[in-house]
Amino acid sequence: MTAIAAEVGSEIPVLATMVTRETLVRYAGASGDFNPIHYSDFHATALGLPGVIGHGMLTMGLALRAVTDWVQDPARVRGAFVRFTRPIPVPDDAIGAELVITGTVTKIAAGIATVALDVRHGSEKVLGMATAEVDIS
Amino acid sequence: MISDAHAGRSYPPTEPYEVTRAKVAEFAAALGDDNPAYRGDAPIAPPTFAAVIAGQAWGALWSDDELGLELRRIVHGDQRISHRRPLRAGDLVTATPTIDKVRNRGGVDIINSSVVLSSVDGEEICTASSTFMHTRPADQQEQQ
Repeated sequence: MTAIAAEVGSEIPVLATMVTRETLVRYAGASGDFNPIHYSDFHATALGLPGVIGHGMLTMGLALRAVTDWVQDPARVRGAFVRFTRPIPVPDDAIGAELVITGTVTKIAAGIATVALDVRHGSEKVLGMATAEVDIS
Repeated sequence: MISDAHAGRSYPPTEPYEVTRAKVAEFAAALGDDNPAYRGDAPIAPPTFAAVIAGQAWGALWSDDELGLELRRIVHGDQRISHRRPLRAGDLVTATPTIDKVRNRGGVDIINSSVVLSSVDGEEICTASSTFMHTRPADQQEQQ
């Protein structure tokens, strides 16, 4: 593997992506997470949610896609952590919910870069303390 | 009711799960990810694919009557995934869940659990560690 050029403070390319009801249906099938709060407004509102919300693990997967888009080889990702701080309401319309993912290298040690990830829906941060550890050697 | 007395409890490994090319491609497509590493003859899986397999092991906790957990009352609080190597198509993987720590705060059970994914040959591939928040039903709120 060729080393990835990065230093503390380097920013990874921004990933902006739309999450629609179709995204949630696809993710439910692919992941096996069929919790109805991710496809049924009836069930979501019964639990006090404003409506259907996205899967937390989908958000984590999209956040890491920003990292793998950057380093290209996903085998470089050694670890990741996210706190699910805010649900993402996904309306039943033609637009969906936009997520914007940015990331900054905060540490490099022994060839492993720590990337702090910022995942936003509009102005709201939806993940807390999101980080990925990436082998850049 | 789940309590700190259950910390350290492990469950038997799940039946082996086979990572397949088709499932990896389907999962990558669900993330809108066209990375070529997830396609072709010998694909690896996206890092969060580990949670697909770990998720099957979480069922052991939800169905342990002694813990008194109800799936619909559970919220996923945080998630860590640590990889020794990526999951690859062709891997036959078992998932072994353990309850690491339990705190009870004001009617909410905060459960730290981890699932180790290993090949059937005994090679540890990755660990998925989760925090779950379980809100107790109103009639059990006073039992701390």
